[in-house]
Amino acid sequence: MKILIIEDEKALSESIVTYLRGEMYVCETAADFASALDKTESFDYDCILLDLMLPGGSGLEILKELKANNKLDGVLIISAKNSLDDKVAGLKLGADDYLSKPFHLSELSARVAAIIRRRNFEGNNCIYFREIIIDTRAKVITLNNEAVELTRKEYDLLLYLVSNKGRVISKNAIAEHLWGDDLEGNNDFIYTHIKNLRKKLIEAGVPDYIKSVYGMGYKFTDQ
Amino acid sequence: MKLLAKYNRLTIFSAIIALLISSICYYFFIRYELILQLDRDLEIEELEIRDYVKLHDRLPNATSYKDQLISFAPATGEPVKRKFSSREVFSNTDNEWQPIREIVFPMQVNGQYYKIMISKSQRETNELIQLILLITSSIAIALLLVLFIINRFLFNKLWQPFNATLYQLKQFNLAGKKQLQLQETGIHEFAELNNAVTAMSSRVSLDYEALKSFTENASHEIQTPLAIIQTKIELLMQSDQLQEEQVRHIQSMQDACSRLSKLNQSLILLTKIDNQQFQEKDIINAGNILRHQLKNYEELVAAKKITVTTSIDNECTIAMNETMAEILFSNLVTNAIKHNLANGKIDIVLTPNNLVISNTGHPLKVNPAELFERFKKDDQDTISLGLGLSIVKKICEQNRFLATYNCNGEMHTIQVQF
Repeated sequence: MKILIIEDEKALSESIVTYLRGEMYVCETAADFASALDKTESFDYDCILLDLMLPGGSGLEILKELKANNKLDGVLIISAKNSLDDKVAGLKLGADDYLSKPFHLSELSARVAAIIRRRNFEGNNCIYFREIIIDTRAKVITLNNEAVELTRKEYDLLLYLVSNKGRVISKNAIAEHLWGDDLEGNNDFIYTHIKNLRKKLIEAGVPDYIKSVYGMGYKFTDQ
Repeated sequence: MKLLAKYNRLTIFSAIIALLISSICYYFFIRYELILQLDRDLEIEELEIRDYVKLHDRLPNATSYKDQLISFAPATGEPVKRKFSSREVFSNTDNEWQPIREIVFPMQVNGQYYKIMISKSQRETNELIQLILLITSSIAIALLLVLFIINRFLFNKLWQPFNATLYQLKQFNLAGKKQLQLQETGIHEFAELNNAVTAMSSRVSLDYEALKSFTENASHEIQTPLAIIQTKIELLMQSDQLQEEQVRHIQSMQDACSRLSKLNQSLILLTKIDNQQFQEKDIINAGNILRHQLKNYEELVAAKKITVTTSIDNECTIAMNETMAEILFSNLVTNAIKHNLANGKIDIVLTPNNLVISNTGHPLKVNPAELFERFKKDDQDTISLGLGLSIVKKICEQNRFLATYNCNGEMHTIQVQF
């Protein structure tokens, strides 16, 4: 899977590259409008992370170019502007998703995975992890070949954990992913929520893949 | 007091005083003049009698005709002095008291002293004075009336530009972006007022715009560095060789970063609402949105073991922006959950034009009136930002809803009237 990160802040694109390489993506970067346009025209990517404010031009122009050339690259807009207008404009121009800065890398990674999954027309929309199958189109989870009833939030949580397997995910990232941005303060209730999911997985005969990482969050891993 | 009333009071009061004083002076002057006239007539009579005495060496006959009476009496006792006087005598013919003017003077006829009195009726003079006074006072009253009416009409007309400017000022809204439309006026003072008001409003607008764009730019500029910090912390978290102390530092950094970014996002949201970026209105079903928000936070409710009772009217529809409605309800719901006690209660009642959310919680430490202000929070130690309710207030203001807070012991109630 090839990903292009168009972002003028070196430190930020570096973080993204480091995190996404860990997910076995091939990452390339572009730090200004001209090189971004050059790369998008010359190559095909599975997903493009697009910052809207670039030296030399607007990210929206790159998006327009892509669509004008009938490119099928998935596009995730990352903007500092957090403005509804940009979001609407971006999505109207054919971007797949919109993420405003600052974001959690785990969130970014989950969104990139979702875009690639959706773009992958031929393949199925299932994610496999040992005994777990997540059908993202039907939103159904199968554990040990048996469909399991999960609440909407439990489904979202499991999908989020699996999308970031092998990574430490902070409680804040989980809380924001599940309940949005308007929660502030104590995230201890996450523990209860994780406990419920863990119980359902263990009841279905799945080993406990959700590891608590002391003081930081959780890690979904089979190691 | 209204300027017109004040002005009327002053002008009419001074007009009355001036008229009163001038009428009194006028009365005395006219009276003096008319009596002087009478006295002259009496002097002529006196002269005639003197001439008669000089010529005939005897007194004429005492006569009484018309309003004139001449009488003589031998002077005895005190010496007679020449003098004019006014008095009243009883008239048998009219059967009433009559005012008269008389002259008394001494005269020697054939060595005999006489006291001679000539009197004339003063009634006509008095009647004339009364008539003159009546006419004058009528004119004065008419004048006052005209003054009053002119004041009223002229005043309103003269002050019209001022009232127009005042109306514009009252309508003036900094966030509204609408410039003042002051009408042209030929009156120097009002033109100057309008100039000053226009200059001030544009200066204020400019300052406001500058401040707003500064806040906006600052908030947006903060986003990227925050993103860098956030992502670096996450990368750090992936390291396998972390020691307990480092983990603690990372966790603190993570929390601080998260708070900062939420704070920033809340400020951006407030600015956006201020900028009226949520103008598009839909007819939304408040019940559905409320239920959706409750569903979204059911895990939080469960974690705190809070009992929620709801009475939601499905007919409650509001014309407002959907995003704003979601933010409003979500803020109210999370507020009720966050500040609740373990095993607490939340009561929600939604009627077609009223939403009441009550929750159990610790008694307030801050002044309830300040609760909707930015950065006002009950407990300075909590991680809460104190922006949730000010966002609620801002949304209510924009939609002309009324948000009120009430506290009854452990029950805190927020009511929103649509």
